[in-house]
Amino acid sequence: MGTISLEHSDRLYWLGRYTERFFTTLKALGRVYDSMLEEKKGYQDYLACFGLADTYSDSREFIRSFLFDDQNPNSAAFSLERAYDNGIVLREEISTDSLSFLQMAKDTLKRAEQSSNVRMSLLPLEDILYSFWGCINEHIYDDEIRNIIYIGKTIERLDMYIRLKYPFDAVEKEFVRLCKNLNRVPKGTPYRYSTKYLSELVEILGSESDYEKDGMKATQALCCLFETSEAAV
Amino acid sequence: MVQLKQGQFMQAVGNAAEINELLRRYGVKFGIYKNGVFNEQFFPFDPIPRVITAEDFCSIEKGLVQRVNALNEFLYDIYHEKKIVHDGIVPEDFIYISKGYLAECEGITPKNRIYSHISGIDLVQAKDGEWYILEDNLRIPSGASYPLIARELTRIAAPNAFEENNIVDNRGYAELLKETMENANCGGIRAILTPGRYNAAYFEHSYLAELTGSVLVQNDELFVEDNILYHRTYSGGKTRIGVLYRRISDEYLDPLTFLPQSLIGIPNLMEAYRSGNVGIVNALGNGVADDKGIYYFVPKMIKYYLGEEPILKNAPTYLPFYEDDMKYVMDHLETLVIKDVAEAGGYGVVFGSDLSKEKLEEFRKTIIAEPRRFIAQEVIDFLDLPIVEGNETVMRKADLRAFVLSGEKTKVWASGLTRFSRNPDSFVVNSSQGGGFKDTWVLSR
Repeated sequence: MGTISLEHSDRLYWLGRYTERFFTTLKALGRVYDSMLEEKKGYQDYLACFGLADTYSDSREFIRSFLFDDQNPNSAAFSLERAYDNGIVLREEISTDSLSFLQMAKDTLKRAEQSSNVRMSLLPLEDILYSFWGCINEHIYDDEIRNIIYIGKTIERLDMYIRLKYPFDAVEKEFVRLCKNLNRVPKGTPYRYSTKYLSELVEILGSESDYEKDGMKATQALCCLFETSEAAV
Repeated sequence: MVQLKQGQFMQAVGNAAEINELLRRYGVKFGIYKNGVFNEQFFPFDPIPRVITAEDFCSIEKGLVQRVNALNEFLYDIYHEKKIVHDGIVPEDFIYISKGYLAECEGITPKNRIYSHISGIDLVQAKDGEWYILEDNLRIPSGASYPLIARELTRIAAPNAFEENNIVDNRGYAELLKETMENANCGGIRAILTPGRYNAAYFEHSYLAELTGSVLVQNDELFVEDNILYHRTYSGGKTRIGVLYRRISDEYLDPLTFLPQSLIGIPNLMEAYRSGNVGIVNALGNGVADDKGIYYFVPKMIKYYLGEEPILKNAPTYLPFYEDDMKYVMDHLETLVIKDVAEAGGYGVVFGSDLSKEKLEEFRKTIIAEPRRFIAQEVIDFLDLPIVEGNETVMRKADLRAFVLSGEKTKVWASGLTRFSRNPDSFVVNSSQGGGFKDTWVLSR
């Protein structure tokens, strides 16, 4: 890769975010699905994590909407469409092979909608996404460029984990991973972190008690991590 | 006969569903606007290839090289001395009122004097085996990426077909394109300019960028400074572009020279081009040579510039502009196909046999009023090719877009895009009109 524009770097970042949002949403919905086998309204905790009201008549309607409704901005289908939208304009950067896994994911999700055993038919998606990331790793030679997509991925994962109230050790691991990615970003480039917000993250995610107390504040700091209003370091 | 040989290959490449599934997976799509709404569609692929024998290809190849060389000579001449006009071979009416003629290109000589670097020449094969040229596309012909990726995938789906037959490998197109771009390069990186994701051929733009290692760019990533074209990088730097394979029409390329309302152009690009600081593939102003009216004169050009007899024939064509031709067209309108020279993509094509008596009369008047606007051609009863439809094989009309690349030498890609009509009653094969495509196998012996 010779040169990359600001527009494409932005697309890479959001490709990372939406692909991860799709993946984490799927995993989380898998657990909700499982809990609903005994508890019909088992999805309400999930809605609460995102501050959403329960407007669903039953668990079936909830799961259909959050998996397949591409008009629902919180659904897996919506995230996958946005990942694809970003990926399609990055073919020469990420490769046709990588892009093919997003298309496969779209086709698999579409087929799952018609399946009598939804959870079973979603299983191949996990393989497809792991393959997608393997392909990205394989095809993007420029470390700096590859790092942008991984920053998007880890920020999204961290954000989702915090909102879904994942245990501290899972969040801590992802935060360490994010810090490693952030430290690889050269000074003066768009994904160089703002010290102010990174410091806030360190404070909140540095200990289990702070995480439990102020976890949601960390999601706000994540949003502002690349703000340029103050001098980036 | 090629028709007989095709029969031997009919079952060779496995089932259509399998290959179309692979094509879906790799996102082989084209965009289409209908009623103002953009839709992305998969380009239906038929697994039965068109087979061209080595002998046939050899003659097609020579004919195409000859034709494209003559067209490149014509373009140079038109934007310089215009000898062909002064010598009365092509009437000036056909030059200056052509929409494709750009006065702004007068006196500009692109690097190595090549104007049409990538030429898409549409041919059909008549039932007697003779090949005819239907039209020349010298601006931004598209379609090479489809047979290219289809070949890659059919080799996976049906390896036996390639093991058992002597088929020329067509996967060198990207290398050929890269060489062609490098030959036009004025110093800098290679870039492919796309209007964006919602362009009908976006798949092709991005796929060719990937295969040639070019940067895929949109206008807002580019700027001209001191007559040099640059790509603005994400970290605030700039990289010089030496050759731009643009997939945007001439009139939108530079709002300071052409359409001021263009939002997809690059201000001052024309200055960079005129200064010889960037190669533009294909050159600007080529539309004057692929005008449907000029098509009539290409055999004459070959004789004029190259002193050779044309190897490939034009479809018998009449220009209502000439009195004798007008009389013939009026007398035979119901058996001819009439083409509006300003239209493309299968639009503006009318078969006289499809018109009612009233419509025919109405059309007659339009031709008399605007004789320069139309050409008329005999309907060539071209060869039907077998396609798979459901569980059966049916015969449909098909053409061939051959790709001729002019770099250090003029070379014909040993493949091409075979498009077919899915409508049994139609001759129109364009993807925008619902057509599909096939791989084109050129046999090595």
